[in-house]
Amino acid sequence: MTQERINSLGVFLIFIFPYLLYSQSDTSIYDGLNLDAVEVKTEALGSVISLKDPKLKTIISRAELKKAACCNLSESFETNPSIDVSITDAVTGTKQIQLFGLAGKYAQIQVEMTPLVRGLLANSGLSYIPGAWIHSIQLTKGIGSISNGFESMTGQINVELLKPEDIIDDIVIKNSAKIRVNNYINQGGRIETNLIYGKQISNKWSLGILGHASGRSLIVDNNKDGFADNPIGYQLNGMVRARYFGQNGWEGLFTIHALEDQKIGGQISKNLNFPISSNPWQSRLQQNRFSISSKTGWVNPKNPNQSIGVILHGYRQSMIGNMGSSDDAINQKELSAHQIGGVSQFLFRQDWNKISHTGSIGVFYDNYDINFNAGGYLQGYNRPFVEQNIGISSEWTWTPNEFLTLVAGGRFDWHSIILNSKTRVPFSPRIHARIAPNDKNVFRLVFGEGFRMALPITEEWGRVASNREIRWDQYGSVSGGDQLSLEESTNAGISYTGNFIFNYMPGSITANIHGTWFNEAVIHDYWSNRMRYIYPDLTTSNESEFAMISQSAGISSNYKLDKKTEIRLAYRFQNVVVRNQIHGLDPVSILMPAAFVAKHRALINLSRNFMKSWNLDMTVQFHGKQPIPSTHPRAPGLSGEIISYGQAYNLLNFQIRKNTKNGDFYLGVENALNFQQLNPIDGVVNINGDLLTPSNPTFTENFDATRIWGPIFGRMIYFGLNYKLIN
Amino acid sequence: MKYFFLTLSLFLTVNAFGQKKIELKFFTAGVCNMCEARIETALLDLNGVWTAEWNVKTHETFVVYRPKRISEEQIHQAISNAGHDQICSCEKEKILAPDKIYENIHNCCKYRDPNVIEAHK
Repeated sequence: MTQERINSLGVFLIFIFPYLLYSQSDTSIYDGLNLDAVEVKTEALGSVISLKDPKLKTIISRAELKKAACCNLSESFETNPSIDVSITDAVTGTKQIQLFGLAGKYAQIQVEMTPLVRGLLANSGLSYIPGAWIHSIQLTKGIGSISNGFESMTGQINVELLKPEDIIDDIVIKNSAKIRVNNYINQGGRIETNLIYGKQISNKWSLGILGHASGRSLIVDNNKDGFADNPIGYQLNGMVRARYFGQNGWEGLFTIHALEDQKIGGQISKNLNFPISSNPWQSRLQQNRFSISSKTGWVNPKNPNQSIGVILHGYRQSMIGNMGSSDDAINQKELSAHQIGGVSQFLFRQDWNKISHTGSIGVFYDNYDINFNAGGYLQGYNRPFVEQNIGISSEWTWTPNEFLTLVAGGRFDWHSIILNSKTRVPFSPRIHARIAPNDKNVFRLVFGEGFRMALPITEEWGRVASNREIRWDQYGSVSGGDQLSLEESTNAGISYTGNFIFNYMPGSITANIHGTWFNEAVIHDYWSNRMRYIYPDLTTSNESEFAMISQSAGISSNYKLDKKTEIRLAYRFQNVVVRNQIHGLDPVSILMPAAFVAKHRALINLSRNFMKSWNLDMTVQFHGKQPIPSTHPRAPGLSGEIISYGQAYNLLNFQIRKNTKNGDFYLGVENALNFQQLNPIDGVVNINGDLLTPSNPTFTENFDATRIWGPIFGRMIYFGLNYKLIN
Repeated sequence: MKYFFLTLSLFLTVNAFGQKKIELKFFTAGVCNMCEARIETALLDLNGVWTAEWNVKTHETFVVYRPKRISEEQIHQAISNAGHDQICSCEKEKILAPDKIYENIHNCCKYRDPNVIEAHK
């Protein structure tokens, strides 16, 4: 950077942060701390949409998480009407989420404002946050706050984990310690143990340890296709955190996190009756992470309207996997990816009478080394690359009275890849407005732009499990890290939330319409026959074309039927179209329906307390029919249908829970109606029901484990308990 | 599945909206949020009480109950048993909680003590 540029940057900084010169502040990094007050008031309702917040933000508390047996973060949205939890694929065993019908990677998912489900963990990071560790979740629908990065494109999910003070329940007695244990077992052979320990060390310091071990060793193949319904393996996950509350407004939270995860899936059963010489199709995936983070905050004791926060975060993570059979070398895939990076963020906040300002300066650095090889045909694309960014943001909130809140913010990012290839500095604007005609009804508006860099292979690893030939369509790298991996979108929406009292009982209703338009997107083509094209940049020829459009409208309502019963009803319509190319002599690109996105979704959740200490929860999820790639031999284009549809289905989950003085235990059934997708994996069984070996021509030509739209495993019973070991 | 939902919704509708309810307002002595929790829990635990609220500022208790299931007298009795005095427009006008129960409530909630009242102001 030349001297001139630095000078102009400095002038710019002073211009947008006028008080950077004399004072600083922030409380926003400790947003989670303020939650307690909200929760106490509305304890009965486990998930709450605040009428005061300018964003459409749902706060999901522990009470809500207990309604379903959530082993991890991805499953904790099962009772939530805004987020779809997709079906586990047979290879990675990870549930993915969708917001507005768009993949979870387009929402910024953070753990206490630091990235976790990002980079190499974008695919399975959600399963590395055990449900028992979660204190609360803040889910923002529509583009989120600008202060924490540019990556919030459809929404923002921030997870607050248990901090030492949450574990010790704010009883500040020196040397007091608490241990809580959570155990879980299910019919699918999954066993899980969580150990949560908290100790007050001195009147300023407290310590928390979160431990998790889970595994599955039972190979289950209910549909008799030779493929295990769930991968087997184990996960070890641990976190040590120290909390500091000092005098003079200082506080700090220091965390070390380490995890290791191993999975094996595919034809792993011992009684496949294959000839000894044949090598079965198997998938192995190993991921690990080590991270260290520190968050410090200071609130000016003389002027509580000023605060600052500093986040420092460093991590190292890797993803090593392979899939296929050595009998079919051309379709074997191998991945070896490593990421080392760090984030440092400086936030400051100042409140005046009616105006408040949050500013941030953030730097991140990621060094990727991704090696991906697909058989003989996709090699030599690999090179290590660096993604680094300096971003500054400024967000102004104006609250002239209780009826109106306006938030306007913007962010400049000096992003290395975009700066080098496109010589531009992306600006991401954000506008939020809240209009409350009275204290029961709120209208909200949102508009904003965001972007991210795609890692086309690692973040779609489960979707690589097919013998369709992967073809990267343009110049660039299939592992990401070039200008073609940029994804950029505009999000806008309007929503209404109203609280009402009917028949003496409180209820709320929320309706929203949101749209997301992608100028640039890295698209996986599910519609071309026998191919898996990846289009990094289909919209170059025509700038006015969109690569992907999502339109979503939803309505949901919570209501207390009587003092012991709560009901939640929700319906959502979503229409997602993705640009694809019709290959031929004169290729054209057209908008096609997005694969695996149902147009209609509905949810009913009923929870009832009875005999004081018992709870019954019931959830019905309606999944509309989903477009799935046809297996028609000549699809698409020439003849026959391109798109076929998976049937609509309902999932019914039950859970009964008994609360006791020292904890609770629960027994539940998932998918009680026992719905199963027939033949989830193509090309692995012949007409007579015999299992095929990977070298069989039918297998080689047709194998595809990515057409999964429904549950593979049928009804599943589970049992779990939480108890306090030392109080 | 269809019939299941039909039956469920029918059951819920009848259960929730189909019965006669009476509103009741009276004063209950108390000082703090702990009192609020104690009074409301005592009322909500009663079978037949639809909803109950106690206002810490005005000391007003608002109860909605189903006369088929519970009588007004039983409601006042429940508050007495929880240790709180009441003033209402019923026969007795003033219903005092038994001293023994009053003695057992938390020290912070001793609403008969002028010092405690002063402390909560």
